Amino acid sequence: MVVSLLITSTNNNHSPLFDRGDFFQNMRTILFIVAISAFLFSCKKAEIENYKEWGFEKPSHFPEPHYKFENNTQTYDRFDLGRELFYDPILSLDSTISCAKCHAQTHGFADHNVNFSLGVNNTVGKRNSPALSNLAWYPNFMWDGGINHIETFSFAPITNPLEMHETMTNVVAKLNASAHYKEKFKKAYGSETVTDQKLLKALAQFMAMMISAESKYDNYVLGKTTFTSAEENGLQLFKTHCASCHTEPLTSSFGFANNGLDSDFTNDLGRGLVTQDPNDNGKFRIPSLRNVALTYPYMHDGRFFTLNQVLDHYSNGIVQSSTLATSLGTGFNFTTQEKQDLITFLNTLTDQNYLANPFLSEKKK
Amino acid sequence: MKNLFISAALVVSALSVSSCKKDDKDTTPTETTGTVELNMAHRWGMGADNFLLNMELVHPMTQDTMTFTTFKYYVSNIKFKKADGSWYVHPESYFLVDLATAGSEILSIPNVPTGEYTDMEYTMGVDSLRNVSGAQSGALAVANNMFWSWNSGYIMVKAEGTSPNSGSGSFAFHLGGFMGSNNVVTVKTVNFAGNSLTVTGGHTSEVHMTVNPAKLWHSSASLATTSSLMMPGATAKTMATDFYGGIAFDHIHE
Ligand code: HEC
Ligand code: HEC
Repeated sequence: MVVSLLITSTNNNHSPLFDRGDFFQNMRTILFIVAISAFLFSCKKAEIENYKEWGFEKPSHFPEPHYKFENNTQTYDRFDLGRELFYDPILSLDSTISCAKCHAQTHGFADHNVNFSLGVNNTVGKRNSPALSNLAWYPNFMWDGGINHIETFSFAPITNPLEMHETMTNVVAKLNASAHYKEKFKKAYGSETVTDQKLLKALAQFMAMMISAESKYDNYVLGKTTFTSAEENGLQLFKTHCASCHTEPLTSSFGFANNGLDSDFTNDLGRGLVTQDPNDNGKFRIPSLRNVALTYPYMHDGRFFTLNQVLDHYSNGIVQSSTLATSLGTGFNFTTQEKQDLITFLNTLTDQNYLANPFLSEKKK
Repeated sequence: MKNLFISAALVVSALSVSSCKKDDKDTTPTETTGTVELNMAHRWGMGADNFLLNMELVHPMTQDTMTFTTFKYYVSNIKFKKADGSWYVHPESYFLVDLATAGSEILSIPNVPTGEYTDMEYTMGVDSLRNVSGAQSGALAVANNMFWSWNSGYIMVKAEGTSPNSGSGSFAFHLGGFMGSNNVVTVKTVNFAGNSLTVTGGHTSEVHMTVNPAKLWHSSASLATTSSLMMPGATAKTMATDFYGGIAFDHIHE
């Protein structure tokens, strides 16, 4: 076995190991290193090496993730397939709309500062496209929490008539007709036959790697940096008034609450749509606030365009209703300075490394 | 080089061993497993009229005129009990009966150990675990359009069609729900009562079941009142319970 590897490798000029001169001195070392290098370098080169340093790793200050790649073991090829699919409009009816159209990396993977996104044929969506990060920690998805698994998730945007308006059968047929994708599916899942299950699992591999954990806030929590007094004051206000729902460090408890936007919920029952319990009407999944400075407009209907408006709301805009979260009372009556400090703190949630992470960007072909 | 020769020799001998095995099989027909087929026969109403898609039917209780264009439902987790009390549990046991797909009404369960079986257990619907376990394949693939995209969970019974009695001219019932009081998943048992199921090596035994889609409206209102249902809840629970309750063992054919 080892002998045959040596024979093939000596003919291989690409092998980085043979650039070095002192190699033939110790035969044993060569045999050993060649065996290892055949392992590491036979399929992938530099890319996989970088990835290895970068694969799913729980940030030390984060809790355990909800999704642990059960029945979908993480590999580079699966992740890479998922990334390509995320950026490919082939998933939509007329190949015009990719996931990334409504979830742009530069905007914290929210839409490009519009309240409602446009789907196929410019149909207008009904809710604001949320920012995406740390999805492996989400126990449920959507503003109403109706989706229970990161793998089944993508079935929703692909088939929603207001979004990609496609059928799974068609998407699978389109991918099966592409030599490029057949090759990629084969690399990722061992067989070139594309199925909806593999498609969904590959997208989940990409989404689970969308990890934002290197903001100034994170570095502060990890003791790597200090806060200004305004940031520090903002954090204390946040802990007092906001963190019961926007729980640290993920900035969401992933629970459901009515944060006092409306008293008439007929436009959107929110959580009540899913549970059919009137006590849940007007409640929405508490959103993560990571990269929040960039993800405006805010709330499920994108009604606020600035963080100032959001804080005015929590300060003295709370609308009373039977399902209102009791902790919000009649609002927090923040002073101008307090609002300013809260915003200064919220800005520390911006994670430039995440927004520019090349692994999460569209791959240059 | 020596290593290569050794492995080549190993490969050759492995090949010859496996071909020997094949010969053995041909000459010794003692197989230790057989196949059981569950045959779901669809009959409309107590008169057991034919039930087919695109066929005009009148509901015996609501008197609605109905023409079904879709009729699909899940059967899962099939198990057989031997006389000694032990169970054979069919692995990955998920079946989608779809009247638009010929043959899907025959649920084929291979590799059942030979022997006498006194009881059968099966589940109508998809167990709660599979509703929360991510992307599945085969009968459970989302591409079968039996999964709610916006409120995760399997549609366990789908009945669609047209009717002059419905205000919209059509009807669509998507029944499901796997949690709490909305759980429609129903485990059913059959006791073959003396006439046990014999599984013989290499043979197929048939268990014939009757399914009456009219039962969906056994205690539910005419399509004039409700012609569409797309979510779990009390109505779905009632309709599924009535429908599942009407599924019955008919006979065994060996
Ligand atoms: C036309 C715009 C559009 C497209 C295309 C789109 N999305 Fe979304 N996405 C949205 C909107 C709007 C929501 C919120 C919907 C809701 O809550 O009902 C959302 C929600 C999400 C969520 C849930 C986030 C949370 O906070 O729970 C994820 C994850 C997501 N999208 C990923 C994807 C993926 C993956 C694709 C491609 C397969 C995709 N989206 C395509 C607009 C879009
Ligand atoms: C009772 C729970 C609760 C508390 C306390 C709370 N929020 Fe929220 N927050 C929510 C919910 C729920 C939403 C989404 C509401 C909706 O869209 O209908 C939300 C939305 C937001 C958003 C919009 C995020 C986006 O991407 O659209 C921001 C920003 C925000 N909250 C900041 C704060 C701040 C700052 C505080 C403290 C002053 C705070 N919240 C306190 C529950 C809460």
